[in-house]
Amino acid sequence: MKFEIQLTGAGDKRKHVVELERKGDVCSMALDGQAIDADAVQIAPNAISVMLAGQSFEIHISRSPDGTLNLQCGPHEFSAEIIDPRAWRGRKHGAVEVEGRQEIFAPMPGKVVRVLTAVGDIVEAGQGLLVVEAMKMQNEIRSPKSGKLERLLVKEGQNVNAGEVLAWVE
Amino acid sequence: MFKKILIANRGEIAVRILRACRELGIQTVSVYSEVDRTSLHVRLADEAYLIGPAASRESYLRIDKLMDVAKKSGCDALHPGYGFLAENPALPRACADAGITFIGPSAEAMEAMGSKTAGKQLARRTGVPTVPGTSDPIENPDEAQALAQNMGYPVLLKAIAGGGGKGMRVVPNDPAFASAWRDAASEALNAFGDQRVFLEKYLVGPRHIEIQILADAHGRCVSLGERECSVQRRHQKVVEEAPSPVVTPELRRKMGDAAVRLGRAGGYVNAGTVEFLVDADLNYYFLEVNTRLQVEHPVTEQVTGLDLVKLQIAIAADHRLPFAWETITPRGHAMEVRLYAEDPDNNFFPSPGKIISCHVPTGPGIRLDEGVYEGWTVPMDYDPLLSKLIAWGNSREETIARLRRALDEYTITGIRTNVSLFRRILTEPEFLRGDIHTKWLDELLARPHPPAVPPRPGTEEAALIAAALWHSARSGATSSGSAESQAAPSRWKMEGRRQQMDHMP
Repeated sequence: MKFEIQLTGAGDKRKHVVELERKGDVCSMALDGQAIDADAVQIAPNAISVMLAGQSFEIHISRSPDGTLNLQCGPHEFSAEIIDPRAWRGRKHGAVEVEGRQEIFAPMPGKVVRVLTAVGDIVEAGQGLLVVEAMKMQNEIRSPKSGKLERLLVKEGQNVNAGEVLAWVE
Repeated sequence: MFKKILIANRGEIAVRILRACRELGIQTVSVYSEVDRTSLHVRLADEAYLIGPAASRESYLRIDKLMDVAKKSGCDALHPGYGFLAENPALPRACADAGITFIGPSAEAMEAMGSKTAGKQLARRTGVPTVPGTSDPIENPDEAQALAQNMGYPVLLKAIAGGGGKGMRVVPNDPAFASAWRDAASEALNAFGDQRVFLEKYLVGPRHIEIQILADAHGRCVSLGERECSVQRRHQKVVEEAPSPVVTPELRRKMGDAAVRLGRAGGYVNAGTVEFLVDADLNYYFLEVNTRLQVEHPVTEQVTGLDLVKLQIAIAADHRLPFAWETITPRGHAMEVRLYAEDPDNNFFPSPGKIISCHVPTGPGIRLDEGVYEGWTVPMDYDPLLSKLIAWGNSREETIARLRRALDEYTITGIRTNVSLFRRILTEPEFLRGDIHTKWLDELLARPHPPAVPPRPGTEEAALIAAALWHSARSGATSSGSAESQAAPSRWKMEGRRQQMDHMP
């Protein structure tokens, strides 16, 4: 599995390629084409301990409202944008469609003012699923893919936080 | 002793009071607004009652609703915490009418000491130094200049009708007096149509140092020593410590005596704080009295070994203070930082929201007074104080090192916090030398940011690996349906499970 990750740190922004290969019980990793000897263990739902040649790191991860990942390592903070090749079908041919189950996040804190679809509905990519009002602006939240609305986790009138999961489209 | 106490507050201070009650075997009653149903002070209380919508005006500030809850639940005492109604004399009066003991000073003592002007008058009457100056306007410039010479330069000329810095002049020395007087008077006339000016001693880089007092109802009033709170951002304290790096035992005794004198004269009973400004020559001037428990009370607790909330309750229950003044001398050093849900990179904008994860520091010399927990949503309706991190040690250096260590262990994700501000303050050479004053932090923040300390080698790599793994674990479902039905168990998951097994007793 190959990921392109754009990492932004202290005034620095660079694109990296991380490869994860899982063979049965063993997982090998490569960073920018170089194999690395790393041992990573998830220690909490949002925290991963990484050992790199004896050096111990702990990374706390959360999703930012804009969809990037926020990574905290002690006093240092990074943001990461992940380009997952599996998530895009036929990317080389220009047809962009997300694949797999998609979680729909609230882009900002606000209030769900209207729900436009029901669980089980077949939706088109780009179709409006619900409307979130924030700071007197109504924002339509659209489906990133064609599929079935598998779960709806909010109801009309409910307040939501930035990054909160609103619905799943399978 | 009381059977049941109503805690008329929320957040970390409500939790702090609740814990003291529990240790004393007293039942606790919390109140909450509609957005605080899941707050920690509600979860931890024996009983909790809804008192209204989010707006504090319609909930936490409603004396009638508090009294209803107190009567309905059979409380015999009420603790106001700090903020909200803590310094409003109407609350102790309502308590008295309802036959409930108010844990704090009497309404009369609040009025006699709480307001700035009343406090200043009391200070003058009891011989506690106030910032020298004339409270009445001076008509004659020669007379004013003579006063200024007497007082010592620099002095400050202030328009009687003043505001917004208009008609205000700092006079550095005697030759500059005449022209400064003309400027201030004409500016005041132009701005306010009133050219009258008064005179005050100008304090250069004053420190904010306050004395904690405790007084029982039997005539004993004692000082628990000082707290230095000079690190402030726009008049809001952010770092507090005890003892002050500049206060000598002799100055501590003098300031303590002054504070006790003031407390006695005001008929003060319970815990209170007398705030002073201290200039570079260690002259102290009365500022105001806070007739309540302070946010920063834990630093005094850590260096005296006392529990101020329990003592407040004991005093309210008419107990005598169990110690003599001579026995209270600070031991070691304590320092507190106030963690707020605000973004230091974005002009300290409030940052409410859901706390996705929260990993708190522990270990030697660390105390965390908090009102939040992982998974809780910080409401946008109240003060953004999340928690107070307190460290103590044998010396100021050890205390600062512990605080830095604890801040590095403290990870909160989901919301922004001002942790990075403290990392910066706690490495500034001036702060480390104790060379601080009330404008110091504002000046520091106006200076360009120092270059960030680069992360140690490997940090970026580790972050990248973590990001890729986290992402692949979340989207692992994309190809095979759901995470549970994956053919091969994830090595990371296996490792996680194995670790959990290891932790089983």
